[in-house]
Amino acid sequence: MTNYGHRIRFGVEVLGGSDAPGDAVALAVLAEELGYDLVVFPDQVGEGGADALSLAAWTAARTRTVQVAASRLDARARPASVVARGAGSLQLLSGGRGMLVLGSGSAGEDLGVVEEAVAVIRSLQDTSRSRVSSAGTYHRLADAEPGPALDREVPLWLYGADTALAALAGRVADGWVADLDEVGVEGLAGLNAVLDRAAIDAGRDVREVRRSVTLTSGDAADVSALVALVVDHGVSSVVLRVRTGDATQLRTFIDDVAPAVREGAERALPPGALSSRPVRRADVRARRRPGIAYDHVPDDLVATAVEPGDAAFGKVRSTYLRGGNPGLVLRQRNAAEVASAVGFAREHMHLPLGIRSGGHGISGRSTNDGGLVIDVGALNAITVLDEAARVVRIGAGARWRDVARVLQPHGWALSSGDYGGVGVGGLATAGGIGFLARKHGLTIDHLRAVEMVLADGTLVRASATENTELFWAARGAGANFGVAVAFEFVVDEIDQVGWAQLAFHAPDPAAYLEAFGRVAVTTPRETTPFLILGQGIAQLMAMVDSSDPDVIVSQLQPFAEIAPLMQQQVVIAPYAAVMNMFPETPHNGRGEPVSRSAFTREITPGFAAASADLIRSGASHWYQIRTVGGAVADVAPDATAYAHRDANFALAVMGANAQRLDRWFEPVRRQSHGLYLSFESDRNPDRIADAFPSATLDRLRRLKAQLDPDNLFQDNFNITPARDHTRNAS
Amino acid sequence: MNSDTNTDYGHDLLFGTFVTPTTHPVHQAVEQAVVADRAGLDLVTFQDHPYVSSFHDTSTLLAYAAARTERIHLAANVTNLPLRPPAVLARATATLDLLSGGRIELGIGAGAFWDGVAGMGGPRRSPGESIKALEEAIAIIRGIWDTTDRSVLSVRGKHYDVHGAKRGPAPAHPIGIWVGAYKPRILRLVGRAADGWLPSMQYLQNGLPELTEMNRHIDESALAAGREPSDVRRFLNIGGQFTSQRRGFLQGPPSQWAEELTEVALTYGTSGFILASDDTTVTQTFAAEVAPAVRKLVADARGTSRHE
Repeated sequence: MTNYGHRIRFGVEVLGGSDAPGDAVALAVLAEELGYDLVVFPDQVGEGGADALSLAAWTAARTRTVQVAASRLDARARPASVVARGAGSLQLLSGGRGMLVLGSGSAGEDLGVVEEAVAVIRSLQDTSRSRVSSAGTYHRLADAEPGPALDREVPLWLYGADTALAALAGRVADGWVADLDEVGVEGLAGLNAVLDRAAIDAGRDVREVRRSVTLTSGDAADVSALVALVVDHGVSSVVLRVRTGDATQLRTFIDDVAPAVREGAERALPPGALSSRPVRRADVRARRRPGIAYDHVPDDLVATAVEPGDAAFGKVRSTYLRGGNPGLVLRQRNAAEVASAVGFAREHMHLPLGIRSGGHGISGRSTNDGGLVIDVGALNAITVLDEAARVVRIGAGARWRDVARVLQPHGWALSSGDYGGVGVGGLATAGGIGFLARKHGLTIDHLRAVEMVLADGTLVRASATENTELFWAARGAGANFGVAVAFEFVVDEIDQVGWAQLAFHAPDPAAYLEAFGRVAVTTPRETTPFLILGQGIAQLMAMVDSSDPDVIVSQLQPFAEIAPLMQQQVVIAPYAAVMNMFPETPHNGRGEPVSRSAFTREITPGFAAASADLIRSGASHWYQIRTVGGAVADVAPDATAYAHRDANFALAVMGANAQRLDRWFEPVRRQSHGLYLSFESDRNPDRIADAFPSATLDRLRRLKAQLDPDNLFQDNFNITPARDHTRNAS
Repeated sequence: MNSDTNTDYGHDLLFGTFVTPTTHPVHQAVEQAVVADRAGLDLVTFQDHPYVSSFHDTSTLLAYAAARTERIHLAANVTNLPLRPPAVLARATATLDLLSGGRIELGIGAGAFWDGVAGMGGPRRSPGESIKALEEAIAIIRGIWDTTDRSVLSVRGKHYDVHGAKRGPAPAHPIGIWVGAYKPRILRLVGRAADGWLPSMQYLQNGLPELTEMNRHIDESALAAGREPSDVRRFLNIGGQFTSQRRGFLQGPPSQWAEELTEVALTYGTSGFILASDDTTVTQTFAAEVAPAVRKLVADARGTSRHE
């Protein structure tokens, strides 16, 4: 008895429709409505008929759930490289519903050409490389760009009843399909054995290759024979071949035959034998990293988990600024899955653990080398809970650009950072120093409640009345205590704002900085300026929380007088427009970002001089000062874990080389007090004392000992558990 | 304007967009096609560079976008022939034309970026070879589409050898074959064999006046082949920016664009303007404020000249 544990699927192969391909599409659309899993279009370009790839793409646009296959593709009809790109686009546009079946099924097919085509298609899907080549006499690649990057590889099946083809399928394919009428049950068993042997010889798991049969008539379908095919011969897809116009057969088969086959097979096999757990190819498994129980990833996470050999790995391995090579990325779709993932992480305490929302963070290590990543990017729902009180629930994976876009039609905004691509979770557990900070405070100052999965896997809600100590800690040091899944914020009534981008001639950075500091501390709270200072040039971005041109101009005027203006643009725009200024870009960070942070109450001559030396040294390519103070300082330092309420300026600098940057940054640090952890990448334990005053840190360490005594969440600005507390507790 | 230099092939005017087939975001190009469709434009087109992995496969994108639009015609601008075997290209284009109710056209080029083509396993052709291959391909494509011809389809070319291939499917409407071309030899091919000519403004080394000479090659070749110059519609891929102030050619308010495009239409006989746009507002402005104005101005001018 052979069964490979694959879930049973039913499909329909649509014949005909060469002169009226619309009829074929109509049948496919009906198949989806009836509950079929798969529609298959056999290619007819060899016989003066319709192009299967066009039919598949068109059908993908007219369906929502069904898998769409272009089938019986003669490997010689088109360059395999272009077929690969087409399949990639089909996969992207359809949301992962594409499929290719190579092999015309004709006797005497040149399987060498088929094998070359498979190699080319596989190579172009391998986006872990920058260029790919593939030798061949008919299909080849020479330094071609692989891609497009896919979330899931396009399944590549072979069609035919030939022994050599079955063996080839065993070596290289994801599935094999034959006409049952042609091979018969005995023939199928024989070819299956050939396929298995070839797979094993190639170092593969026989379960990597799905087995499928096409039935030429549903009327004669013998349920017990089909059950036997599933139970004894491992067939997991049964495809009914139907001519356009024959909708009756389509209905009968799915209504009567399919459920009976499913039931019969489930009765005959041990419970749970037919799973939807994917079996990864040997070459994918070969890229697994040590120390990870890949085959024990919880069932609810299996479908979305990404391993190094997976197609989606290129898109998830790195973050905005940090290059990464994690061993496993778990992508949760709800809080229960986050709890599963945390449980799995607890069994892997020996590995680095990254927590990722938007993947923009500099200090938070939301990627790593060989470790786990819990990626909550899919938890991105934004829901208005209370229109009158302006309470909004926001998933940790949402991006601030999307938050702004959703709030804007209500005439609302929530101060975030300076870039719309940043994720909610990382920023809203650290602080959130944004363009509305001086008028409306930090992002965390708007927090009413947070839902978090703790180290022990429990989901808790923290607010002013529940888990109050955690609510305090989550606002400034949240990443140490759990995985935030959602936040409830009270947002502000903000419609249009003044938005200024000014560029100054600033040959003397120290003088510019001092003047900027003087103006900034006296400017009304409506205005929050951010300054980027470079060699010879200063760029000021400022938001004025007002839609009155007179107010905007009068508050900006003192800044405009600091130095000669080279460029200026002032517009009245929604906050959402500012957050959506830059398009979404893929995250392809490389290496390790080097970033330093400091707070200061004022820009003293000493601070300005040290900064000027730093800028002139060339050790830093990014020097940004954000103004804080105002409403941020209205909150007591001990009200949240973010304690540096008295600072008026937050500095962030970035460089390429840590040693070199530190040489020039140390004098600046000496002129400042404290730091904002989101912009500090130095892992020196001294920095933790800069991030949190001692009273805050002691309190955090006591809570850490209580909620995460084993220090599961440590791959960030780590607050080590208080040891005395552990003793007391035991 | 001196009427001696005026050229007019008498075609009604078409307006369309040239949309980047980017895969990031995945559906952006499709959405821009829908924008163009709803805005009432005649045509949406996508470039075809299979060696660029950040672009969608143009053939797949055309099919998907056609299924999501209702009225607009779609075309590659232009198909990379060396990577698209002509018989399959003909069948795929016809399949899509049937599915879309006659909304597909065939923009095609002899090929470019030969390193990219060769890297994808395609042939590396000299300019002369690529033009020869295109001429053979056009013969094959027309032969595949012509199911009324009962003879054996046979094009025994140097680059493509098709003998005895079945004809069909027949497209739903006469699909226009529009060729991207600049040099005299390929322009003469356009005159002999194509239904449209699809140059891009940005590749005209000496600017728009170059169109006069290029038109001449097409016209003479058409006449020599027993065709009419008006058998070849003249398109132009254009780029520009809507600004409140006049800054230059197609850099100004829509009314300025309308005047400028009218002049191009009347001077060079251009009857299809395809604007590079990935921006909803730009596309809508082009459709709502430029296209109708040009149509009116050109109709007025043609009316006047007829009465003289």
